[in-house]
Parts: sequence; structure tokens; C-alpha cells
Amino acid sequence: PQASGKPADYVYFDRTTSGFSEDAVQRAKGAQLKLEHYYKVAVEAAIERNTRRVELERKLAADAMMPDERKQRQLIQLGKKESTFLRLRRTRLGLDDFRTVKVIGKGAFGEVRLVQKTDTGKIYAMKTLKKEEMLKKDQLAHVRAERDVLAESNSPWVVQLYYSFQDPMYLYLIMEFLPGGDLMTMLIKYDTFSEDVTRFYIAECVLAIEAVHKLGFIHRDIKPDNILIDKDGHIKLSDFGLSTGFHKQHDSSYYQRLLDSATGVQSPTAAARNSVMVNAIHLTMTSKDQIATWKANRRKLAYSTVGTPDYIAPEIFRQQGYGNECDWWSLGAIMFECLVGYPPFCSESTHETYQKIMNWQYHLVFPDDVHLSRESEDLIRRLITSAERRLPVDQIKLHPFFFGVDWNTIRHIDAPFVPHLRSITDTSYFPTDELDQVPEEPAGADSTGSNKDLAFLGYTFKRFTLNSTAF
Amino acid sequence: TSPAPAINKPLYLCSPFVDAALVKGNFKTIVMLPKYVDVNEWVATNIFDFYQNINMFYGIITECCTQQSCPSMAASPSLNYTWINQDRKSVQLPAPTYIDYVMTWVQNLMDDETVFPTKAGRDFPPAFPSTIKHVYRQLLRVFAHIYHAHYPQILHLRSEPHFNSLFAHFLAFGREYELLDIKDVKGTANSPVGIGALWERWKENGILEG
Ligand SMILES: Nc1ncnc2c1ncn2[C@@H]1O[C@H](COP(=O)(O)OP(=O)(O)OP(=O)(O)O)[C@@H](O)[C@H]1O
Repeated sequence: PQASGKPADYVYFDRTTSGFSEDAVQRAKGAQLKLEHYYKVAVEAAIERNTRRVELERKLAADAMMPDERKQRQLIQLGKKESTFLRLRRTRLGLDDFRTVKVIGKGAFGEVRLVQKTDTGKIYAMKTLKKEEMLKKDQLAHVRAERDVLAESNSPWVVQLYYSFQDPMYLYLIMEFLPGGDLMTMLIKYDTFSEDVTRFYIAECVLAIEAVHKLGFIHRDIKPDNILIDKDGHIKLSDFGLSTGFHKQHDSSYYQRLLDSATGVQSPTAAARNSVMVNAIHLTMTSKDQIATWKANRRKLAYSTVGTPDYIAPEIFRQQGYGNECDWWSLGAIMFECLVGYPPFCSESTHETYQKIMNWQYHLVFPDDVHLSRESEDLIRRLITSAERRLPVDQIKLHPFFFGVDWNTIRHIDAPFVPHLRSITDTSYFPTDELDQVPEEPAGADSTGSNKDLAFLGYTFKRFTLNSTAF
Repeated sequence: TSPAPAINKPLYLCSPFVDAALVKGNFKTIVMLPKYVDVNEWVATNIFDFYQNINMFYGIITECCTQQSCPSMAASPSLNYTWINQDRKSVQLPAPTYIDYVMTWVQNLMDDETVFPTKAGRDFPPAFPSTIKHVYRQLLRVFAHIYHAHYPQILHLRSEPHFNSLFAHFLAFGREYELLDIKDVKGTANSPVGIGALWERWKENGILEG
């Protein structure tokens, strides 16, 4: 049959998948998605490679002092790095390329281990995430977001991700190891900080949060457990588990659609993720007992899937949308905790904490027995306030509390606590004795996966490092 | 079995399928050797990716490529590829067996640290270019068979834009690095390769460079 306007060789073909197994249909869909991803990445990589070369060539051309021979060597050096990076793509890293030195942390979806790459001897932190758990809890988009933030940034304020891989059961993130532990552990140890020490950490957090915002992300989950300390005592942010970027892959419903289209299910409208919290208001004040309970349970809370809501801004719990101001609220709560010893809305139950956050006007109370300077109380009140009135970053930086802070050099000055490390594998800053229920070596998987792997498409990542030779 | 009389040329050469493409624009962007980069490294990485991608697409039609449906490794009505066995004799094999041999052979090469080095400081062997030409020739045959024998299935599974682009990329890459002989792509006058005409057609419509 031939219609007018069509070429002479135009053929109508009746498509049907009736002659195929369910498996073949799914595999076809998977192959299509993977190939689309492959070409997208191939083009991006070509552009990035080109940019790196052009930038170096331009830099060298502008340098009148450097001898030509040295310029030539730098270009050859770049070519070597690019070649090594290509080689890394063919190298299949897996669990057996790493040896666990020690379990150092636990999060909602898995553990963090100090590992050593067996052939190079280099040290990394390896985060294990159980796929099944994340599918159950609708955390896929979050994982992707976490990977993207970490992967895209070269920021000194964000924990570097070098490599990621997966097996049918787990995702593995290979990150730089920060030997100083986290701010939560530090707060458990010191209880409170002086105003000077607080100024240092909060100022560094301001720059780190600003860096994340500049990358186009809202962290949404800034808390002391996610503020890590490097070997010099400076901070870096980790855990973008809850951060939402602006890529479409960060939308949870995107993953559901991906899975549905693979299984032939027509997706209904995307379900909204955030539930509304409407509950009766209890006007109980924070008592000493409550604080004690809270402190005792602090680490347990960090390990639970629910997580602690202590640092989350009220607008996140409402369904009316929010912007990156929510991260400044969290910072206010952390600052309060650094100076007072517990976060402003801590309660015996997470439920009660929600209530208090929603009615922060009544519950933001500065205790009489702790002396705070006028400046610090003022800054906290300008962060823990309604989203419209919260200070924007440039005004935060100008706040009198930060008087004397040199924002350009703070990362290079001496930190108040510099970890004393006896070796590159020193884990004395981690509560490793509290983690004995975690297996020393990750289990790994031997069975082959199902279609669920589709949702983890694009997960495998290898970092191009210009200034350090990872792996 | 004889082809349906109504269709005098293979489906993959007919509109609209012949023009279906996932990747639009010039393949040069992703084919060209990046400046200062080692050519062996570049070719090795691309071979690795082609292998994975072809394997993936063959994977979706394996259930249709059986000893019964494809008793020989056919690439046109008048061309069956033969496999050189251990005794250096050329033998006819059913297509699934043939393809399995090809894929296993390539996989083993890629896992062989002396052929495809992955460890730091290891170099490619001097014979690497000629090894790659062999690999390329066999992978071309896998494409040729799928186009000849399984294109309707590719259409049923709505994968023709993807498969076409993968093959066009493969041809563009092979041409750039001289990994393909014209006679392998087109065959001989007596036994042409089916996809030879596809190559010509893509050069005409600009999917590939002339
Ligand atoms: N790169 C790293 N170097 C050193 N320690 C780390 C690193 N990443 C994480 N940790 C340690 O492991 C702990 C748990 O990590 P993380 O918070 O990323 O886990 P998680 O599963 O995302 O937890 P949650 O989502 O509940 O915050 C951290 O509090 C920290 O002590």
C-alpha cells in the first residue's frame, strides 16, 4: 500500500510484540535507554575533553615566559591523563579491588568503610547502598542526585567522589576519606563550642552551602552528621541523599516512569512525595530530661532510615514549595546546637520535633543558663525564621557575628581542631566500637539482577581528575 | 524460504526505516581522535563500547536467532559466512553458534591483559592494530546477520533508530581508523553483503560522510 507524498519505497509495517517473551520486550526497552544514555555521555565527554584541551592551550599561549619545550610537555601530559582516563573506562573495578580496613560509619541505607585499593594501596571511603532498600523507600532519585552533586563538583567544600560501581544488590561509592570524623561526633565529644570555634565552623559551612547552591542544588539535609572534617580540620559536606537538583533525573517520579515503561505499565500521574503533617499542637517546653534523652539517642537517630528532623526547615514539611533558603535554617539550628549543646527543637520523639518546628515562633527558646553574645543570638534568629525573612547569603556573610572572618582565606588558616593522625588509616575520630553489628566486609551480590537495575542506569561513574592521579 | 514477492528490497533499505536514527548530526564529534591522546587507547575504549552495545542488541533478539531459524550465518540470500576452526578449516555454523564464538573470542581478547592492557604502565602489543581489524571484521558480520535475518524483529521492538545509529557509528569509526575493508562491507559481485547497500544509502542521505 502506498500513500501519496510518501517515497516509492515507503513500507507500512505492523508492529507487535506478541511474538516476543516478556523478557525480550524489557531487554529491548533497556537497550534503548542504555544506548540513549551512551550517546548522550559520549557527546558530553567529547565536549568536556575539548574544553580541557582548549583551556590548557590558551593558558600556555598566554604565558610568554614559559619555554616552548615545557609547554609541549604539559600538552603531552594532558594527553596522558586523558588516555589514562579512557583506560579507566575499560577497567572493571569491583568489590574485590578494595580491602576493608575498618567500618567507620553507618547511614540510613548502608555503611561507610575505610578501604584500601589493593593494587595502588590508596585509601578511600566506600559507601555501600542497598538497592532494594532504596527502591522500597523511593530513594532512587536521591541517590542519583547525590551522585550528580558529588560527581559534578570540583569544589573543596564537597566530598569528592572518585568512582562508583554496582552489583545486582548494592551501589558502591568510592570517595575521598576524610579522617577527622564528622561534626556530630565532635559535638557529642565536646558538648558545646566556644563562640570562636563556632564562628569557624559556621563560617566554613556558609561557604560550603553557598558552593552547593552555586552548583544548582539545594542540600535540604544539612546536619552535623553530614559535615565532615578533613585531615587539616576543615569541613566538607557529604551526603546529598536528600538534595534535589534541577535535572529531571532527580525527580522520583522519573524513576517510577522508567520502571513502568520498562514493564509496559502506563504510569498514572506522578505521586507527590511530601506528605503534609497536620497534627495537634503540644506546647511542651524542652526540659532537661528531654535533652538528655535526645543526646543519648543522637547516634541511633543518625542510623535510622527516618533520620532526624531536627535541622529541617518548616517549609519543607509544608507542600507549598521551597527554595535554597531552607539550608540556611538548618545552619541556624546547627549553630544553636554548637553554642547551646542541643538543637533548638529537640524532643523525645521525632513527631514532637515536627510540631515544634512548625510552630517555631513559640519553641525557639534560648536557655537562661547558657550565655550567648548578642550577635550570635541575633544571627540564629535571622536564620531560624520564616523563609521570606531569612537572611540571604551575602547578608549572612556581613552579619556582625562573623566580624573578623576573612571569607577568602578561611580554608587556608589553621583550624581550631586539627586531627592528630598516626597513619593514613587512622580511624580514631570515628565511633568504630559502636559499629560492631556491621559486617567487616560488604556482602556483595552473586545473583543476577532484575529489571530494577534500569533505575540505576547511568550510575557507574569514573572521575576525571586533573590535579591528582586517582587510581 | 523465499522473500515475500511484494517487497523487492530488504526492509532495512526501505523508507522510513532506512532513515531512522537516534543520533542526528555528524559522527565526527565522537569519532575523531582527541588531540594528544594515544590512538590505541582511543580505539581500545571504543571497541570495548561497541562490543558491549552490539552484545546488548543481539541480546534482545537471541530468542529469535536459533539453530532452526538461522542454520547458517547468512548476510544476504547469497552469502553465508564461514568460521575458521582449530584445524584451520572453514566451516558453516548456525548463526547463534557463530555469533557466540565471535562474542566469546572478543570478550576473551578484551579480558587479556596482554592484548587490552588496563593496568598502569602497560602498553598495547605491536600487533594490536591487526588484532583490532580482525575484531572489527567479525563484529561487522554480526551486524550483517542481524540486518539480514532479524530486522523485522528489531522493528517490532521499535529499536531501529537505535540499531541504525549504532551501526552508522560503527561504520564511521571503522572508516576513520581504517579498520574496515570495502570488500568486507560490500562483498563481491556474486555474493554481496546486504548491508553494503545500506552504507551507500547512508552516504547519499548524509548520515555518513562520502
Ligand atoms: N568520605 C568520608 N570520609 C570519612 N567518613 C565518612 C565519609 N562519608 C561518610 N562518612 C562517615 O559515615 C557516616 C555516615 O555517612 P552518611 O551520612 O553519608 O551516610 P548516609 O547513609 O547517607 O546517612 P544519612 O542519609 O542518614 O545521613 C558519616 O556521618 C561519617 O561519619
